[in-house]
Amino acid sequence: MTLEALPWLILFLPLLAAVAITLFFQKDEERSANFSIGAVWIGFALSAALLFFTAGKAPLETAVNWLDVGGLKADIGLRVDSLSLLMLLVVTGVGGLIHIYSRGYMHGDAGFSRFFASLSLFTFSMLGIVLANNLLMMFIFWELVGVSSYLLIGFWFEKPSAADAAKKAFLTNRIGDFGFLLGIILVWATLGSLHFGELETALKNNPQALGALATTAGLLLFCGAVGKSAQFPRHVGLPDAMEGPTPVSALIHAATMVAAGVFMLCRIFFILNVPGSMALEVIAWIGGFTALLAALMAVQQNDIKRILAYSTLSQLGYMVMAIGLTAPGAAMFHLTTHAFFKALLFLGAGSVIHTLHHEQDIWRMGGLKTKLPVTYLTFLIGTLALCGVWPLSGFYSKDSILAAAAEHNIALFILGVTVAALTTFYMARLFLVAFLGPAKSDAAEHAHESPSVMTVPLRLLAVPSAIAGFFGLEAFLEKFFHPAEAGHATSFLETIFAPFNHSPLAAFFGLFAVLLGGSCAFSLYWNATRDVLPEKIGLLSRAMRNRFYFDELYEWFIARIQEALATFTDAFDRWIVMGLVRLTHGSVELTGRALRLLQTGNLQTYTFLFAAGVVALLYFVLH
Amino acid sequence: MNTSLIVLEIAVVLLGLGVLLADLWLPAERRRALGLAAAFGVMMVLCYSFRLDASVPQFAFGQSYVFDALALFFKRFFLFAAVLVLVMSVEFSDSFHGGASEFYALVLFALAGMMFAASAGGFVLLFVSLELITVTFYVLVSFQRHRAQSLEAGVKYLILGALSSGFLVYGIALVFGAGGTMDFAQLQQKLAANHELAHKPILLAGLLLVLVGLGFKIAAFPFQIWAPDVYQGAPAPTTAFLAVGSKAAGIVLLLRLLQGAVPDVAQHWEKLLMVMSGVTILYGSLCAIPQRGLKRLLGYSSIASAGYLLLGFAAMSRAGSVAILYYLGGYLFTVLAAFAVLCVVLRQADSDDISALAGLGQRSPLLAAALTMAMVSLAGIPPLAGFFGKFLLLKAVVEAGADNPAFYWLLAVALVGVVISLYYCFGVIRAIYWSKNTADTSAIEISMPLRASLYACIAGMLYLGLFPRAAVDAAALAVNVLKL
Repeated sequence: MTLEALPWLILFLPLLAAVAITLFFQKDEERSANFSIGAVWIGFALSAALLFFTAGKAPLETAVNWLDVGGLKADIGLRVDSLSLLMLLVVTGVGGLIHIYSRGYMHGDAGFSRFFASLSLFTFSMLGIVLANNLLMMFIFWELVGVSSYLLIGFWFEKPSAADAAKKAFLTNRIGDFGFLLGIILVWATLGSLHFGELETALKNNPQALGALATTAGLLLFCGAVGKSAQFPRHVGLPDAMEGPTPVSALIHAATMVAAGVFMLCRIFFILNVPGSMALEVIAWIGGFTALLAALMAVQQNDIKRILAYSTLSQLGYMVMAIGLTAPGAAMFHLTTHAFFKALLFLGAGSVIHTLHHEQDIWRMGGLKTKLPVTYLTFLIGTLALCGVWPLSGFYSKDSILAAAAEHNIALFILGVTVAALTTFYMARLFLVAFLGPAKSDAAEHAHESPSVMTVPLRLLAVPSAIAGFFGLEAFLEKFFHPAEAGHATSFLETIFAPFNHSPLAAFFGLFAVLLGGSCAFSLYWNATRDVLPEKIGLLSRAMRNRFYFDELYEWFIARIQEALATFTDAFDRWIVMGLVRLTHGSVELTGRALRLLQTGNLQTYTFLFAAGVVALLYFVLH
Repeated sequence: MNTSLIVLEIAVVLLGLGVLLADLWLPAERRRALGLAAAFGVMMVLCYSFRLDASVPQFAFGQSYVFDALALFFKRFFLFAAVLVLVMSVEFSDSFHGGASEFYALVLFALAGMMFAASAGGFVLLFVSLELITVTFYVLVSFQRHRAQSLEAGVKYLILGALSSGFLVYGIALVFGAGGTMDFAQLQQKLAANHELAHKPILLAGLLLVLVGLGFKIAAFPFQIWAPDVYQGAPAPTTAFLAVGSKAAGIVLLLRLLQGAVPDVAQHWEKLLMVMSGVTILYGSLCAIPQRGLKRLLGYSSIASAGYLLLGFAAMSRAGSVAILYYLGGYLFTVLAAFAVLCVVLRQADSDDISALAGLGQRSPLLAAALTMAMVSLAGIPPLAGFFGKFLLLKAVVEAGADNPAFYWLLAVALVGVVISLYYCFGVIRAIYWSKNTADTSAIEISMPLRASLYACIAGMLYLGLFPRAAVDAAALAVNVLKL
C-alpha cells in the first residue's frame, strides 16, 4: 500500500461506518458504537503514521480524476501538508475521545445508533474540509458539515427548542455559505482555477492577479468563516447549538466545526494576504470585536454550557483576529490548544450535567469538589489553560496572538488584554460557583462521579491541555507559514520561557490580565450563593445577560423588514408565479390527456396511424 | 467458418433446449428451480463472455456475422438483462397458470436472437435475428392466456409487428436492388466510392423502410403507438424484457445501420432524426402524466427514453454514440429494478394501478428504496445512472449545435421532456411513501435471488452514476468500430 492510499482511508472510513450503521446495525448498539469509534481512531493512527512518514517532505497530493469527457474535467483531490496533518490529528484525536465519551453519555438513549451514525457522518464531512485540495471540494464538504451538524444539533428533534436551534444554526450557516460560494466563483472567474497549489503559484507569480477585486474576494470568502465560526454579526446562532447532546457541543464547538472557519482562512491565507487587499484589516477588527462582545456576554450567563459557548465565540474571535494580524501560525496554534481544553471543559460540563440529571444552571450546583474529584481536577486544568495561566497550553497560544497584536496594532493589543482579563473573570466565576462553595441544590448534594468511560477521556484530554504549549507546535506551524525563517533548535527550558524573552510586553500583560480577572472573581464569588454583580454595575449587567439585545434587534429587523419583504414575495408567488405554474401545469396536463385520445386501443386505428407514419417518413425525406 | 465466434449464442440456445427437455422429466413442483437454473446458466455464459477478446473484429458466415467490441458490449448487456428477467419470471411464474418452463425457454430463444442482432453484419442477419426476437415475443406477450388483456396485447403486437416486418423486408429488397449487396461493410464501401448512389431514391426509400422496422422495435415516433397497450397487457417479466432487451436490439441494429453501413446517407437525415427524437420525447413524457397504470406509465417513459436515445443518433457524432451506449447501460439497471419491484407488487394484485404501491415504504423498505431509486434515475437526477446518461446525450447535442443551431431547439425540447418526467416519476414516489389509505400493511417476502437482483440493480445505478469513467471508456471502445 502506498502512502497515497492513507488519506483516502482516513477520509472514507467514517463514511463507511455511517453507512454500515444506518443500513445494517440500527438495532445493534454495541456494534454501531464500535464501528464509529473504530473508524475515527484508525483515522487517528493513520494520521500519526502520515505525520511520521511525510516529515520533512514536500506536501503529499493525491487526486483521482473523477471524470474526463471532452473538455469537462473534474478532479477529486486530497492535500496532506503540515496544516492539514495538524488538523487531522486534532479532529481524529479530540473527536475520537468525544466519540468514546459519547458512548457513556448517550447510554440508554433511544437513538443511540442514529447518534453514532450522525457522528461518523460529521467526522467524514469535517475530514473532507481538512483534506480538500481545491475550493470546490472544500465547499461541498463545508455544506456537508452544515447538514450533519443540523442532524446532530437537532438530534432530540422531538424537543421543539432543539429542532428550532438546529434550523437556526443551519440557516445562519447557509447565509455565510452563500457569500463563500460567491467568493469561490469570483476566484475561479479571475484566476481560472480552484486548486490551492495552482492558486498559490498564480498569486506568487503575479500578486496583482486579483486586481481591484482582491478585497471583495477576500471578504466574500471570509463570509464562509463568519457563518461557520460564528463571528459578528452572525454570532447569534452558535449558543443555540447547545441544544444538542453535550458531546455534540464539545465536538462542534471545540475541535471541529467552528474551527473549520479558522482553518479555511489559514488555507486561503495567501489569497487574503495580497498587496492592496484590505480584507485582513477588516478580518482583524471583526475578530477582535467578536472576542470582546462574546466575553462580555459570557460574564452574566448562568447556564454552564452557554458560558462555555460564549467563551468559544470569544476565543474564535481571537483566532480570526490573529489571521487578520497576518499571524495564521498563531491562529492555528490557538485553535489546536483551544481544541484540547475546550473539549475538556465541555466534556467536564457534560459530566456535571449528566450526574445532576440534566441540571445546567451553575447557581444550582456547588460543592462538587469532593463528589466529582476527577471532573473537578480536569475541569480546573481546562479552566486554567483557557485563562492562560503559565505554563499551561493556553498561555503560549494566547501569548503568540497578543505578541502579534503588540507588533501590528496597539489598539487590538489593548482589546486582546481586556478580553483575557474578562476570560479569567467569567471562567473563575463559573468554577467558583459550580464546583466550590456550598451545594446549592439537592441534586448537587447527592452527586457522584461519572462512569470511567466518561472520565478517561477527561483525563486524556487534560494532558495535552496542560502541556501542548511547549511541545514544538508553534515551531511546526511557523515552518509551514514562513518556511524561509527556519526555526532554530531550542532547549526545553528555553521553550518554556520563550514568551518572556520573545515578547515580554505581551507575556507580562497576559499574566497581569489573568491576575486582575481572577482576583475580581474571587472577591465577588468566593462562597457566593447568588450573583452580586448586577447590583454593582446595574444596567450593564442586564445588557450583558440579554446579550446586548442582539437577538431582540434581529427579531425587530425580521419583524419589520423581513416580514414586509415576505408579504410582498408571498403575494408575488401566490398571484404571479402560481398563475404561471398553474397555466404551465394545466396546459401540459391537457396536452397529455388530449394526446391520450390517440391511444384508442382500436387496432384498426393503430394500423392506420402506423401506415400514415410510414408515408410521412417517406414524404419527409423524399419529397 | 469460425464457429468459436458464436459460442455464446450456441450456449444460450442449448440452454433453452435443455430447459424444454428437463421440463419433461421434472415433477411440477420442482419446475420453479428450472428458471433459477436457467438464470444461473445465463450468468455462467455472461461470466464466460469476459474471457473472450474482441479487440480485432472477426467474421463468420461470410461478412454477415461480425464479432467486435460493439457486439460483445451488447451481448453482455442482453445476457445480464436475461438473468434478471429469468429471476423475475420465477417470481411471477404462479400467475402463468402452467407452462412456466416454456416461458423460460422462450426468454432464452429471444435472448439468442438479441445476441445475433448485436453481431449483425448484413441485412440477412438483421432480419432473421429481428424475426427471432419478435416471434418469440408474440408468445411471451400473450403468455397469460387466461387474461383477455394479455391476449389482446399479443394480437396487437402480432399484427403491428407483422406489418412492420413487411415494411422492413420490403425495404431490404429495395436496398438490395439499388446497392446489389446485403452486407453492411460492402454497402458502405460502395456508397463511399459512388456518391450518386447515396442520392438514389430507391435506396433511400429502402433505407427508410428499414428505419420503419427498427423504429417499431425501439418504439420511436411515429411507430410508438403499440407500446403502451402491449406493455400494459403483457406479463411484467415480458414487459421488462421488451423494454430493455428488445429496445436495445433495435438500438444496436440502428447503430450498425446508420453509423456503420450508411453513414453518408444518415448525415443527411439530421433533420429527420431531430424531429423524430423531439416528438418521441414529448409524446412519451406528456402521455405519461395522466397515467394511473404502472406498466403503462413505464411504457410511455420507455417511449420517452427511445426519444433520448435518438438524440445521440441525431447528433451523429462519436460523443453521441458513446452517450447512447452509456444511457442504455444506466437504463438497463433502472428499468429492470423498476420491473423487478412491480413483479413482486403485482404478483397478487390483478390491476397494476398506481395505488397498489400504497404503503410499500412500510411493507418492504428494500422494494420501496429500489423503486424510488429507479424513478429518481429515470427522471435523471444525480447521482444516479440516469442523470449521467441524459447529461452525456444532451452534451453531445450541444456540441452538435456548434454546426447547426437547430440542435439548440432540440436541446430545449429534451429539457422540457426532462422536467415533465420529474413530474410523473415523483408521482410514483409519492404513491410509495405518502399514500393516505393503506389497506394492506403486511410485510412482503422477497426471495433470495430477487433480493440479489435488486441489490445488483441498485449497485449498478449508483456505480454508473458515481464512477462514470469506466463505463464511458468501455462505451468509447465499443463505438470504435463504427464509421464516425
